[in-house]
Amino acid sequence: MLIGTLSTHHQATGVPLSWYLALSGIMFLLGLLGVLTRRNPLLLLLAVELMLNASNITLVGFSRYWNVSDGQIFALVVMVVAAAEVVIGLGLIVAVYRQRLALDVDALSRLKG
Amino acid sequence: MGERVFFAIAAFGVIASAVGVITLRNPFRAAVALIVSLLSVAMIFLLQRAPFVAMIQVIVYAGAVVVLFLFVIAYLGDKPPAVGPDPLARYQVLAWLVIIGLGIEGFLALGNSRLPGIRANPFQVSDIGSPKAIGHAFLDSFVAEFEGTSLVLLVAAVGAVLLARRAVLGERGR
Repeated sequence: MLIGTLSTHHQATGVPLSWYLALSGIMFLLGLLGVLTRRNPLLLLLAVELMLNASNITLVGFSRYWNVSDGQIFALVVMVVAAAEVVIGLGLIVAVYRQRLALDVDALSRLKG
Repeated sequence: MGERVFFAIAAFGVIASAVGVITLRNPFRAAVALIVSLLSVAMIFLLQRAPFVAMIQVIVYAGAVVVLFLFVIAYLGDKPPAVGPDPLARYQVLAWLVIIGLGIEGFLALGNSRLPGIRANPFQVSDIGSPKAIGHAFLDSFVAEFEGTSLVLLVAAVGAVLLARRAVLGERGR
């Protein structure tokens, strides 16, 4: 338990919760920027992964802040949802590719009203 | 001091590789940048006393999910998709406005937060992140969520098989 022993003797040099929240916010905004500006659906999915991970940092950070496991459980559920989303998203991308369509989310506009 | 140095290294890794993920043109390189980002996030999880979540992050995320990405990227080939000029280029300024607005909002919210001890050194924690604690929490308090995740994974697997089947049938079994 290396991590456990690091903390027990000296809590004066730990990392405050606000630092984690700031990092999570920056990472979430970078992911959102990627989602809003990318056109290749593969790269769009990668940016979505960044956003999900940013939310996980916040969840685990608050789990540590309140000294309960609930946030970590929530983070694990988010990981499961992310894995399912990747499977379906990549399945859709491969299906689009096999129809000989361009891999460009702007070009897939047949359902546009 | 050590924890803050560790945090600085991990945070730099997270942000630098996240910029790489959203700027690199080559999907393969972007996926590799995502691996660096996910491993840096696993370092952050270790710092937050969540060793089990960090382990799952490395095994499932940096392992399985990114391998799936790389597999599809290799399957689709390295050639960039043929695209002309971006028809939505004039809307990109809106994306930047959203980002800047949300950034200012988050900065103000964090700066004005009255949560006790949010900017101070963290409190001591008991054993909340070990596999034992996570297992107890899952099976004692969160059984419904536990079963829900199994259902989500099952639905995703069936959906992926159906998608692949339809794509093959669409090409008359080729």
